[in-house]
Amino acid sequence: MASRGAIPILRQYGRRTLTQSLADPASIPGAPAPTDRRTARLNRLRAGDALFRRMTRAAALGVLLLLGGVIVSLLVGSTPAFLAFGPGFVTAEVWNPVTDQFGALAPIHGTLVTSAIAMLIAVPIGIMIAFFLTELCPMALRRPIGMAIELLAGVPSIIYGIWGLFVFAPFLQKYVQPLIIATFENVPLLSDLFAGPPYGIGVLTAGLILAIMVLPFVTAISRDVFDSVPPVMKEAAYGLGCTRWEVFRSVILPYTRVGVIGGVMLGLGRALGETMAVTFVIGNAHRISASVLAPGTTISASIANEFTEAVGDIYTSSLIALGLILFAITFAVLSAARLMLARLDRGKS
Amino acid sequence: MSASVQNVQIQLDAPVPAGEAPEILEEKISIRNLEFFYGDSRALKKIDLPLYSRKVTAFIGPSGCGKSTLLRVLNRMYDLYPGQRATGEVMLDGENLLSPSVDINLLRARVGMVFQKPTPFPMSIYENVAFGIRLYEDLPKNEIDARVESALRRAALWDEVKDKLGAAGQALSGGQQQRLCIARTVAVRPEVILFDEPCSALDPISTAKIEELIDELKRDYTIVIVTHNMQQAARVSDFTTFMYLGEVVEFGPTGTMFTAPTDRRTQDYITGRFG
Repeated sequence: MASRGAIPILRQYGRRTLTQSLADPASIPGAPAPTDRRTARLNRLRAGDALFRRMTRAAALGVLLLLGGVIVSLLVGSTPAFLAFGPGFVTAEVWNPVTDQFGALAPIHGTLVTSAIAMLIAVPIGIMIAFFLTELCPMALRRPIGMAIELLAGVPSIIYGIWGLFVFAPFLQKYVQPLIIATFENVPLLSDLFAGPPYGIGVLTAGLILAIMVLPFVTAISRDVFDSVPPVMKEAAYGLGCTRWEVFRSVILPYTRVGVIGGVMLGLGRALGETMAVTFVIGNAHRISASVLAPGTTISASIANEFTEAVGDIYTSSLIALGLILFAITFAVLSAARLMLARLDRGKS
Repeated sequence: MSASVQNVQIQLDAPVPAGEAPEILEEKISIRNLEFFYGDSRALKKIDLPLYSRKVTAFIGPSGCGKSTLLRVLNRMYDLYPGQRATGEVMLDGENLLSPSVDINLLRARVGMVFQKPTPFPMSIYENVAFGIRLYEDLPKNEIDARVESALRRAALWDEVKDKLGAAGQALSGGQQQRLCIARTVAVRPEVILFDEPCSALDPISTAKIEELIDELKRDYTIVIVTHNMQQAARVSDFTTFMYLGEVVEFGPTGTMFTAPTDRRTQDYITGRFG
């Protein structure tokens, strides 16, 4: 084989190689290039490489600097409020711009409750959609549904806001909320949780809107990680005779839990910070009610609503302090997620 | 094609090695006129093949000849994928397992499978084995413990893992993982075990262990093994099927196949002239 292949090459290049190699070695294909030319080119590349390295480092450090700047300005801006109210700022419910008395408990409560409602709804549904898309869905439907989910993520939050206010909230007020109130009227605990009257807007409505907004994050990430499970792993489980639910619960979910938790945390991050849509439908009342049907407020909704009308240092500073608290909550959530993932990793090996 | 079917007949009638009492072969699985399609392309053409009880049957042949496809028909693994279908008959103890009325989960409990790459589930060693048992049987803890132990012993893994049953299955070495998968398969108490190139990802020592194990297991199970390694087929199997381009070219006792193949293509393949 080898000798047969070599002959035509010799025929083609044989003579020319012989004569030209004496005159100019560089013209021979495959012959080494002169050393000085190479060094020049390498030096040029090295300079470019150093520049590239510095640029990437500068970009990374720039982010750190920005983050530091944000934290410092939040701290400085919130100092007057914390000096005036002390740590009681976090635990006080009062929010009275007239008497300059401010407490952050109601917005904190609203933020946590709306996010909890959103996650409670979006996580199971999102994971189910993702499993359907990866395992059960006919090929022809897979792309349309997947794209619809991604589109859902791309809808600007203001649109969810107006839709929530003009369509969703009246619908809830007219049909859903009266039903809920009537159903749980005589059930202890639940009757407090779902106490009327049906306003339409309120904590529950905000939570539902948030659930819709968070859903695409949970779904898209879960779908990607479910797709990453090696097919042979699933076949092994099916090969034992597992049903789809058993494969899902015992193989796919444990295999991908780190990724799924990542998706959930990303969604939670969005739910905690979401401003516009929530502001539209939550009712913006600075009070804590046991009922999720009552109006409430969240940290970001309070800030967005009141910043333009905030007069006086203490009012402005209190709003900035709210921002600092939201920052702290988000940071705590992310850290908790990291910690959980680290523990899971350690448990695995 | 008809020639190959005749070959099968001739081979089966061939006398059993001298000095032994003629053994009665019991057909555990009979494949009749099986065809398999990936969408429109036909991957298996008119397969007729017996798989004998308590024997090891090896499928050999060049890549893409359909041997893995044939294996995956036997537990209907292809069902997971839309567009794949089989026609014909595959009788398991007289029941056509291709029939839509067959309970697939039960079928897969009867026909276990071990894959090319070890596939320990993301759970502990103990749970990996107990998992399959719990799918089918509601047993008290001590009985499950006993079943797990006996399965791990059968897979020749017990002595290596008995002190760390709580450790993650994925923390074991490749060879140990593969034996764990065998233990998991055995624990369900199947009747047939399919091996899809079980040693292709393993080192020679682990390979030798798995082969020994297959030899042990054939006392109780019907075993089918797909392998690329002809020495392995010669070492572990009682019967060998040579497949080429979706057809069974030759089937017969392994000894005969490797010493006196009747088909030219079989001879070329086992002497390494192609494939």
